[in-house]
Amino acid sequence: MKITKKQNASSLEIALEGRLDTTTAPELERAMKESLDGVSELTMDFEKLEYISSAGLRVLLSAQKKMSRQGGMKLVHVGEIIMEVFEVTGFTDILTIE
Amino acid sequence: MDRSDYGSFVSIFNPVDNTVDDSESVEWELGHRRDTTNEEYRQKYRAIYEQGSPCETVYRVKTTDGQPPHITTMVPVRNEAGEVTAILCMQRPIREIDDARRPYLRKVVLATVLLAIVSSVFAAVFIRKQFVKPIRKVSDEATRFARENTKGENLGEISRYEELSRLAGSIDTMEKDMVNYIANLTAATAEKERIASELSLASTIQENSIPNDFPAFPQRKEFDFFASMEPARDVGGDFYNFFLVDEDHLALVIGDVSGKGIPAALFMMVTNILISDRTRMGGGPAEILRFVNDNLCEHNKAEMFVTVWLGILEISTGKLTAANGGHEYPALRRAEGVFELVRDKHGLVLGAMDGVLCKEYELQLKPGDRLFVYTDGVPEATAADNGMFGKERMLAALNESPDGSPDQILRNVRRAVDDFVQGAEQFDDLTMLCLKYKGKGENQ
Repeated sequence: MKITKKQNASSLEIALEGRLDTTTAPELERAMKESLDGVSELTMDFEKLEYISSAGLRVLLSAQKKMSRQGGMKLVHVGEIIMEVFEVTGFTDILTIE
Repeated sequence: MDRSDYGSFVSIFNPVDNTVDDSESVEWELGHRRDTTNEEYRQKYRAIYEQGSPCETVYRVKTTDGQPPHITTMVPVRNEAGEVTAILCMQRPIREIDDARRPYLRKVVLATVLLAIVSSVFAAVFIRKQFVKPIRKVSDEATRFARENTKGENLGEISRYEELSRLAGSIDTMEKDMVNYIANLTAATAEKERIASELSLASTIQENSIPNDFPAFPQRKEFDFFASMEPARDVGGDFYNFFLVDEDHLALVIGDVSGKGIPAALFMMVTNILISDRTRMGGGPAEILRFVNDNLCEHNKAEMFVTVWLGILEISTGKLTAANGGHEYPALRRAEGVFELVRDKHGLVLGAMDGVLCKEYELQLKPGDRLFVYTDGVPEATAADNGMFGKERMLAALNESPDGSPDQILRNVRRAVDDFVQGAEQFDDLTMLCLKYKGKGENQ
C-alpha cells in the first residue's frame, strides 16, 4: 500500500493506494500517529484504494474518534467496493463520506 | 733459479728425514736440477724475487710427481747487498698437520653433535612447554566443550605469547557466549512450547465455548441447522452461537471480531457471553445489541470492534426478528427458489461507539425456507493471486443444491472455497451457519 500525505497548514490530505488490510493497516496507523497532531481538517482520498479489511476499519475508526475531538475528518472519492464495506459495517453512520 | 720465467731451479741441498715425519719423500742429490712443475710455484718464486715478499706458502694436495701431499714454505735468502739470491724452502707433509688437527676436529665434531642434541632437547622441551601444551589445553577444552556444552575453567593467560593467549581468550569468550546462547535458546524453546500448549488449550476452550454437537436439538422437528467455525490460526475472532431462549424462541448469533489470533479470541469470548447472557434475559435483538455495544465500549482501550448478526426465531410462527451490527448480509432461500442476499438494515459494528442504536427488522420464514449467515472469511477467501472468492461464487455454491440439508449446504460452500483458493493459506477465520425452517409438523 502507498500512503501519500499532503499537509497544508492545519489541513492534511492522505491518499491511499492499494490494499488496506492486516499487513498494511499498522503502516497507516503509524503514519496517522505521526501527523495528526495539530491537524483540524483531515481528508482521506480513497480513489485508488482497492480493498479494506476490518483492521483497516479499525484505523479509520481511531482516526475518526481523534479527529472528531480536534476538528473533522472526511473521505473523498470512495469507490463502490469500499463503499459497500462501509455500508455493511455501518461505518456510513459515523463517517463523513463525500 | 732460472730468473727468466722461473721455469727451472737447482736444488742446492735437500735433506730428507723420513724417519721423523714418516713420509715417503725422495731425497735429491746435490745440485739436482728441476723444472718448476706448477704455475703456483712460479708465481710464488716471482713474488719473492721481484716483489720483495718475505714469505710465501704453497699447499700441494694433489702432486704430479708422486710425492705425498705437502706444504712448502719459502723465504728469501739475501746477500750482503740485500738482493735475493736464493730461496730457502721448507716442506712438511700435510698428513702431519692432518694428524695434529684430527683430535681437535674430533673434539669439535663431538662438541657440535652434543650441543646439537642438547639444544634439540631444550628446544623440544621449550616448544612443548610454550606451544604444544597450551595448544593441547585449548584443543582439549574445545573437545570437552563440544561434548558437555558447559563453561569450563577460564583458560586465561595460558601463554606469554600473544597469539596463544588470544586464541585461549577467544575460546573463553566463545564458551561464555555459547553457554548464554544455549541457555537463551532453551528458555525461548521452553517458552515457545509453553505458549504452544497454552494456545492449544485456549483453542480447545474456544471450540467448546460454542455449541458444536449436531443435530443440536434432535427433539425439535420444526427446524434444523448446522454451523461451522474454522479459525485461520489456533484461536480466532469468529463465532456463532445458538440456544433456546424459551420453548418457542431460538436465538442464532454469528459474529466476527476485527483482527485475528489471541486479541480477537479474547474479545470474541467476551462478546459471545455478553450476547447469550443478555439474550436469555429477554428483549428484542436491537435492545440486546445496544446493551452489548455499550458494555464493549466501556472497556475497549484496544479499540477493537465486532460485527454481529443476531436473529431470534419464533418457532411456532416462523417470524424471525433480527438486528445486524455491521455484519455481512444474510442469504435467504425461499422455498422452491434460490439463495439471495437480504439487504437488511445495518447498524454500526459493536464496540466502535457507544450509544449507537441498532436497527431491528423482521423476516417471515415459511416452511422450507433456508437462511445462511456467514463471516467475511467466506466471500473474502483469497487465492494465491489475491483474487477473492466473492459473494457471487458464494451464492452459486449455495445454489448448487438449495434443497440440501444445512450440513450439505455448508459442505458445498466449503468445497467451493477450497477449490477456489487452490491450497493458498487460509487467511481469515471462516464461519457459517445455515438454518432450515420446517414449521409445525412440516417435514421438508
